[in-house]
Amino acid sequence: MHGRKKDHKRGITYSMLLVGDSGTGKTSFANNLLETAIFPHKYAMEVPGLPENPRVKVVKPTMVVSYNSKNGIPSHMAQFDPAREHFEPGVTITSTSLEISTGSEKLSSRASMSSDGSSMTQNGGVDTDKISFNLVKSYGLGENLDNSLCFDEITGFLEQQFDQVLAEETRIKRNPRFEDTRVHVALYFIPPTGHGLREMDVEMMKRLSRFTNVLPIISRADSFSTEELAKFKATVMDDIERFNVPVYKFEVDPEEDDLETVEENQALAMLQPFAVMCSDERNDSGQFIRRYPWGEINIDDSDVSDLRVLKNVLFGSHFQEFKDTTQNFLYENYRAEKLSTVSDWDVDKESGDVNKRNSAAPSLSNFASLITTGQFKSSNSLAMPPQSETPSTPDSKTISHGSGMESPAIRQISQSIRRGNEEIINNIKSSPRSSAPGSPDKSKLRNISETVPYVLKHERIIAKQQKLEELEAQSAKELQKRIQDLEKRAADLKLRERLLRQQHLNSSSTSLSSRTTSASQTLPTQTKLKKEESMTDLASIVSGRV
Amino acid sequence: MTSEKVVVGVSNLPNQRYKIVSENGGIFTMMVCGESGLGKTTFVNTLFQTTLKHADPQQRRHQPIKRTVEIDVLRAVLEEKNFSLRVNVIDTPGFGDNVNNNKSWQTIVDFIDEQHDSYMRQEQQPHRDVRFDLRVHAVLYFIRPTGHGLKPLDIETMKRISTRANLIPVIAKSDTLTAKELQEFKLRIRQVVEAQEIRIFTPPLDESEVPDPAVMEHARQLIESMPFAVVGSEAKFDNGQGSVVPARKYPWGLVEVENDSHCDFRKLRSLLLRTNLLDLVLSTEELHFEAYRKLRLEGSGASDDQSVPARAPARKLSHNPQFKEEENALKKYFTDQVKAEEQRFRQWEQNIVNERIRLNGDLEEVQAKVKKLEEQVRSLQLRKH
Repeated sequence: MHGRKKDHKRGITYSMLLVGDSGTGKTSFANNLLETAIFPHKYAMEVPGLPENPRVKVVKPTMVVSYNSKNGIPSHMAQFDPAREHFEPGVTITSTSLEISTGSEKLSSRASMSSDGSSMTQNGGVDTDKISFNLVKSYGLGENLDNSLCFDEITGFLEQQFDQVLAEETRIKRNPRFEDTRVHVALYFIPPTGHGLREMDVEMMKRLSRFTNVLPIISRADSFSTEELAKFKATVMDDIERFNVPVYKFEVDPEEDDLETVEENQALAMLQPFAVMCSDERNDSGQFIRRYPWGEINIDDSDVSDLRVLKNVLFGSHFQEFKDTTQNFLYENYRAEKLSTVSDWDVDKESGDVNKRNSAAPSLSNFASLITTGQFKSSNSLAMPPQSETPSTPDSKTISHGSGMESPAIRQISQSIRRGNEEIINNIKSSPRSSAPGSPDKSKLRNISETVPYVLKHERIIAKQQKLEELEAQSAKELQKRIQDLEKRAADLKLRERLLRQQHLNSSSTSLSSRTTSASQTLPTQTKLKKEESMTDLASIVSGRV
Repeated sequence: MTSEKVVVGVSNLPNQRYKIVSENGGIFTMMVCGESGLGKTTFVNTLFQTTLKHADPQQRRHQPIKRTVEIDVLRAVLEEKNFSLRVNVIDTPGFGDNVNNNKSWQTIVDFIDEQHDSYMRQEQQPHRDVRFDLRVHAVLYFIRPTGHGLKPLDIETMKRISTRANLIPVIAKSDTLTAKELQEFKLRIRQVVEAQEIRIFTPPLDESEVPDPAVMEHARQLIESMPFAVVGSEAKFDNGQGSVVPARKYPWGLVEVENDSHCDFRKLRSLLLRTNLLDLVLSTEELHFEAYRKLRLEGSGASDDQSVPARAPARKLSHNPQFKEEENALKKYFTDQVKAEEQRFRQWEQNIVNERIRLNGDLEEVQAKVKKLEEQVRSLQLRKH
């Protein structure tokens, strides 16, 4: 554990992701978890009035790290506007950096303490160990008509964090102030349907679990009676088993773990998925409660809610475990996969087979997802005949001409990547140190460390650029639509004005001809009538006039 | 009713009417619509105080996780004081369950239209004594108690339903919202409903039609508490005051379904059955069916002969936009595939041609060589001679 000491010096980083359908209580959970008001509720402009928690300090305020929506605007802070509620909000991911100051060994004790105010002030700060806590939160999931968009966005974000660490690791000169933003644990909020998992839950958790530890959580558990909750928990676990969702399991290793840990983990495994309920409201003794006409619930009451246990798991007993699994298992796997693809590609390219990359793309490797989500979005791998399958020909020129199926833009991008990399490789080759004879492995390694950061960066830049372009196009479209709308409305108004003026003329003429009725009497009624008509039935008026 | 006046018996007409109606019984079709897990089945059972429908978790086990919207029709006859009401409950399992819920309202909307259409065509038949009537009188749309607002899916679906049937929005599982949250949630829903021009069913408030002020007051109360927040339960518990009532038992208290301070169930039941059942049926007949009929007859009358009854809209599978999208995607995939294969074959052909040219060249070369050699031989022979 070489990292421990360094961690101490730089503070421990810890990242948590809150994902789930909107309205499942992510905001309240975050506020309850930290016992302070971090996030405002949806549509509410201000954070709920909770007393400040002296241990929690916001270092960087909430900022949008990634988003995607049809109108090109992040929507998590949108004001409530009834007339625009039918627009799909897209998906937004925000990140909030916090600093939790607490003694590391007191972490668990703090979490297990009941949240009465007296115990919170006890820890006056002799042993101040700081956790820089990164809280990532998703917005808009499940609110869109088509939610597949959200998956790519969230997994894309997680992958990007891995990529950043990978790039940093392989760099020769490292950035001393680099921040590790990998997400260590993701809490997935299962809506309390009572029916088991939905397609979306399964899909989302499966995708998340490639990059982070996933803890399924039953939110708003106060909609279940005791028996119903037990049944729902069983159904969820059953579904997780059945659809092979790799969520975090509290596994025990009887040979290595001591008895206490084994017992604890077994108890936690029995308890999973954790059922929580959250609240903004406090009673007189400072406990968070939900107040109903038929009773009050103390959300820290372990008989009805697993919130306390969950707090303990997140900040106490499994804190290091989550970090270790992310680093040693998930990230290692990702790294191996990524590097093997990248280095294969480099070596292949050196041997002259520039097309290897395309044919290697649809493999298990994560390039596949990069290609589908990132730069090769429009090019379906089906459209390109896999080059390795074409019969071997003596003429290699025909091949490169034959692969001209892909669209020019994509070709340009891939060519630019290739060119960039060739340049890098040429540089490496030309430098006398790297081309030391008799050590092909070494030079390959060297290539990796030289190229990987650049390749990753390049890929990321290209992917980002494309996404930005897309968003720009979308917002342009949206603007266009709004302009059209406004123009139409202006035209309508003009038309109405003309109608009214004409009517005015007509009525004044009639009043002139027949002086029995006063113009002032007929005019308002008629215009009023006309107004109503034009509100409902503009089209018919237009057709009637023309 | 003075004794001097001769009673002819005209005043007995209402009684005759009553007799006919009670003999014939009534028919009421209700649709419940909303995402799964919002307590639709439980609500139906609570409403009619019997287990009409079983929540069947076993069935779900065998289904694939990606689901299509289905239509489930359940028929039942309810008898109360010698009056029988035929109840049709239509469930829409699978609605809103998928990742992509675009156009998932289509099945529901199509179903409602289809019932109107089928009724209309039966009316146009020469013999129309037996009518199969499944026109939807009321649609209960269940809203997830998120505490935020309506989702685009809710809005789109409700918009479409509201032009075809009597829509009654309902906040499901309202026992997860505290009084304050519920109030805010209701307000937002009402605002959205108004701004988006979703027409929801309201009991008639016209003073000429409703002379009784008490009824008026009741109707006003009903309108005020829309959208109804409901709690459903099939189980009954002792409420501590000696009576056993349908309720939900939590460790922190007992939620009584029929308690007005806990939820709006009683109001909703009153709207659906006790006071406004006839309004629902009539407005379906007069408003929605008429509108549909007018649209159909006008639409087809322009092109066809007037005497020919309106044709049914050709509602085949291909007309569902969702299927159309899928079809297009498949077609595209197919053409791409074909193109790719063609490209490959062309490549092969080209290679073969190249090969042939090369071989021909070789052949010519060899032939030329042979010729040369022959020439040499000849010349040598000549020299020899």
